Amino acid sequence: MTIGMRGLHVYILLAAAALALVFADRLSSYWMHVAIIAMFYGILASSWSLLAGYVGLFSLGHMAFASIGGYTSGLLVQWYGIPIPLGMLAGIAVCCALGGVIGWVCLRMSGPYLAIFTLGFAEIVRIIFATEDDITSGMAGLHVERLFDTPSRLPYFYAAFALLAVSLLLMGLIVRSRWGLFLRAIREDEQAASASGVAVARFRILIFAIASGFAGLAGGFYGHYIGILTPSLGGLDFMAVLVVMTVLGGMERLPTAVGGAFAVEFLLEILRGYGQWRLPLFGLLLLLTMRFARNGLLAPLWLQFVRLGESPAVTATAAQDVPQKEPGL
Amino acid sequence: MTWDYVFIQVANGAVIGIIYALIAVGVTLIFSILKIVNFAHGDLYMLGGYCAYYVITLLGVPPLGAMFVSMAVIFALAIILERLLLTPLYDDATERKDEYGLIVTFGLAFFLRNVAVMVFGPFPLKPPSFIPGVQRLGGLVITNDRLFAGGVGIVLIGALLWFMHRTIWGQALDAVSQSRESAAIVGINARRFNSVAFGIGAALAAAAGALIAPIFSLAPDMGVLPNIHAFVIVILGGMGSVGGSILAGLLLGEAENLFTAFFPDPTRALAYTNAFGLLVLMVVLVFRPQGLFGRRHLRME
Repeated sequence: MTIGMRGLHVYILLAAAALALVFADRLSSYWMHVAIIAMFYGILASSWSLLAGYVGLFSLGHMAFASIGGYTSGLLVQWYGIPIPLGMLAGIAVCCALGGVIGWVCLRMSGPYLAIFTLGFAEIVRIIFATEDDITSGMAGLHVERLFDTPSRLPYFYAAFALLAVSLLLMGLIVRSRWGLFLRAIREDEQAASASGVAVARFRILIFAIASGFAGLAGGFYGHYIGILTPSLGGLDFMAVLVVMTVLGGMERLPTAVGGAFAVEFLLEILRGYGQWRLPLFGLLLLLTMRFARNGLLAPLWLQFVRLGESPAVTATAAQDVPQKEPGL
Repeated sequence: MTWDYVFIQVANGAVIGIIYALIAVGVTLIFSILKIVNFAHGDLYMLGGYCAYYVITLLGVPPLGAMFVSMAVIFALAIILERLLLTPLYDDATERKDEYGLIVTFGLAFFLRNVAVMVFGPFPLKPPSFIPGVQRLGGLVITNDRLFAGGVGIVLIGALLWFMHRTIWGQALDAVSQSRESAAIVGINARRFNSVAFGIGAALAAAAGALIAPIFSLAPDMGVLPNIHAFVIVILGGMGSVGGSILAGLLLGEAENLFTAFFPDPTRALAYTNAFGLLVLMVVLVFRPQGLFGRRHLRME
């Protein structure tokens, strides 16, 4: 350890990922489904943390974008018979465009005003999908063509894995670049950021478009995996679960957000015996986390993990340097 | 469509508008003192309705008495919740209070709604009427429950206005809403008034829940739409303005019911009525974030 293997955590993660891919076919169909859904939430949680955690734009419309992405792709494939990946790309494009528009419209809004605005947007989207039933089949659900023509879940597992990996890579690049710094500057103080030369308006619109695009990707994949879409996907309940996942893990970092999504999704399955009591339980957990460990339950673990490869002396000094509310990756 | 139908919609709109206003003044009151937007307000309204229901059916208390019991219970519950969850808002060491208030009240709403599903069951419940029967005035037919709900709603809002403007506690609340520091200098314990404001807001929501229960029915998710409606009203009326909320509540109740009455496709009218309210909200937020009748736009710090 004296050499200081910086970046050891990256190798460990890569090794874990490789193991997961190699042994994926040993998973039972049920747990593979859970893993696929967890990865679907992983994309949503990380892109939402990009919005809410990094820039402080607490959008409650994220699941609505997933829903829009899913319906766009599903309907285009149904109407015009275009290939599914093309439909999903179209879904992403629609979500990016719409996300940009929403980001532009609510440029002047902050905190709760933005939350209320996006909540209104999400509910309108849900109501339209539920009411225009001659197009969307309403609450009965829209049948969507499945991505692979096989009953096995293994291809979906690999696809979800690839999508999550690519999404995280892209988002990680954004966060690690100068842009990441700008985004956090906007969250801390918009006026100060603007005074320091950050193009606040442009970045707010851009990040809204990007995050919505990832939500559209997740929604498109979900639709083509499950095979049926209902308007409730964009509803408040799904949004609340997403908030629980992201905040429990730690909304200020991408890996902890994804970890939160995985942990909550697997716990929801393991605790299935408790039936519907699981939801209030996680609500309570969310309240306790906010009250006593606002950075998220996984954030301290992640910081430890990142420092694994460093020599003990470095770790000791680093630990002193890290302030309580350190926002970085 | 006859004019009678339109008149019925106008009368219904007025009643619903008063109930909306009752919920919204609570949101406004909490906002003006605690500087947070309460996303759990609709769920306190839901709990108020259920509380009244069980006081009526289990204890045999008459409906009006049950409403007051429910207000007292929710008042106490709200103060406990405020003490447990919202105290970090008053601590200078807490960063990004907007975000804290938002996530905590959003989480609280999720928690209360799902506890309600488990405890009360997902199926709608209907308590007995306040006064059974209907009133007829020419072609205008309106149930006694609606008249009663509107009447009690007006009395409660009147009581709140009296409390805010004519009592020493109301004056103290106003002082805290204007400046915490100045209020502290003249000897007002701001912390106590945080609890008072949250409790009163919640109690008014509980009253609204108890009043609406015999008209619609009780369901664990009944608070979701009124909560959003309360936001519409508060934004329309201007955050922090009680008078604005009352006017905007009536306006929204009327606008929605007339929208339902005149919407060309009756099968979709009801669904799009809610969307219409939301659209109003979004448009107002974009063009007049300070509200239509709002006083100065308060920034939360």
